[in-house]
Formats: sequence, C-alpha cells, structure tokens
Amino acid sequence: MDYYRVLGIDPKLQLNLNELQQLFYGRSRELHPDRFARAEASVREAALNESSLLNDAYRALKDPVQRAEYFLKNRGFDIGEQGTKDVPPQLLEEVFELNMALEELKSGDDSARPQLATARDQFAALLAQSDVELGQLFEAHDGQPGEAVLKQIRGLLNRRRYIQNLLRDVHGYLSN
Amino acid sequence: MAYSEKVVDHYNNPRNVGSMDKNDPNVGTGMVGAPECGDVMKLQIKVDPVSGIIEDAKFKTFGCGSAIASSSLATEWLKGKTVDQAMEIKNTEIVNELALPPVKVHCSVLAEDAIKAAITDYKKKAVAESVHA
Repeated sequence: MDYYRVLGIDPKLQLNLNELQQLFYGRSRELHPDRFARAEASVREAALNESSLLNDAYRALKDPVQRAEYFLKNRGFDIGEQGTKDVPPQLLEEVFELNMALEELKSGDDSARPQLATARDQFAALLAQSDVELGQLFEAHDGQPGEAVLKQIRGLLNRRRYIQNLLRDVHGYLSN
Repeated sequence: MAYSEKVVDHYNNPRNVGSMDKNDPNVGTGMVGAPECGDVMKLQIKVDPVSGIIEDAKFKTFGCGSAIASSSLATEWLKGKTVDQAMEIKNTEIVNELALPPVKVHCSVLAEDAIKAAITDYKKKAVAESVHA
C-alpha cells in the first residue's frame, strides 16, 4: 500500500494523528525539491513524484473514512462502485423508514420544524456513533486482521454514507 | 445536467407511487439501495397466483430524478407481464427509454435489481405457501 509505504509506516487502520503529522513533515523535508536542485533530472523527478504521492497519502490517511476506503480498496473491495451489493436489507429498511419520516415532516407546515431539528440531532448522533464504531472496528482489525472485520467496516461505511446524506438533506431543508 | 423530457415527466408525475402489504403472500417486495448516492428504492409487485400475471406494481424511491423515473417506468412495464417476462426486463431498456446519460446508468441498474428482488421475494413466498398448503 503506497500511502503507507511513502510515510514509512505499517498498514494499520488505527493511526495516531500527531505521529502521522510528524512523519509527514519529516518526509516532506526529506523530499523537498531544494534538496534535489543539483541532482540528476531522473532523481529530481522521482523525488517530485514521491512528494506528490506523500501529499495524497497524508490527505487520505489523516481522515479515518478515507483511510478505511483506501484500505478496503487495496484489499480488493470495490469502493465507489455504484451498486447495490453488500447493503444489508436491515440497513435499507432503516434508511427507508428514516426517509419516510423525513418526507412526512417536510411536507408538513412550519410546525414540523422542531421535529425536523430533532431528526437532525438524531442523525448527527448516529453519525457520531458510527465514528465511534469505526474506531472500534479499526482496533479489532489491527489486533486480528481478517476479511470478516473488513466486511463489517465496509457495511459501516455504507451506513455512515446514508446517514450523512440524510443529515445533509435535513440540514439543507432547515436552513431554507 | 439536463434531464430528458421523459425523466422529467416521470419525476413530476411518478406512476404507481405507494406501497402494498408486504405480508400478503401474493405481494413480492424488493428493497435495494446505493449508499454512494444515498438512494433507496422499494418496489412491490402483486401477482395473480393462478395466471402468474403481475396485476399491480408500486414503488417508493428516495433518490435523484433518474432513480425515481427508472423505478416509475419499471412499475409501468411490470403491470400485465408474467413473472417470467418481468424477469427479462433489462436495465439497458430503461436507459434507452429514458435516455439516461452514462453517469445515471446505475439508477437503471438499481431498478432492475429492485424488480429481480421483488420477484425473488414473491417466489420465495409462493414456495413457502405451497409447502404449507
């Protein structure tokens, strides 16, 4: 996994963000173009490529969701594919019901605003909760890596995406 | 991005929106979704157990205009078809009918998946029914 390699760390899901930042600064200095001003063109170019990879790596790895997506993609999961695969029926039911409730509130008059605000807080809480769960699954995977945990992470990311969309929806509606 | 006239028409006047009793043995329910876009689609068919013909179809979709139009169109096509004929409906036919652009092809895939899921659910129930009978 190139993102981990360029930062010189083992591919783990749990990362200490302070350490990550320090590593990023250190590697950035090592790869700084000034240090290669007198180097051969090929070496200079290699350093430049590495440096650009480093920037991508840091940007992705410091965000737990992006990190998990990168990790899963490298483990052969099709992330970003717009398909219906791997979405448990239970989650679809839940999201469907939440959408129904939201639609009903939106079709009501202004008196439904407090309920919408409650719904928004509820989605925000669900989102926060899924972030906690993501952290727990990261820990579980790093302790004992395996396909099963990765699948759970994949499922959680899907759920999180749905909740995020609902939250954005109700947010947008309330700020109108 | 501009939607085709047909998509706009289905979006503004969706056909067969609603739901049926999912516990009815003659009703098959398909629930599918695409988390990447936040879409959820529920499609139901009601089958005449004797003739195997789909007498009614309902849907409810939360998603973009193309997802709504795809499922709306699907319910129109389903009515009057036999279950086996319905199984033959391809997403490409939906793409052609609605003139969906490439970025929206996945919406038609979702609709095809929903049809298949609803039929599978119905068949599962029919088997369970015949075992009980």
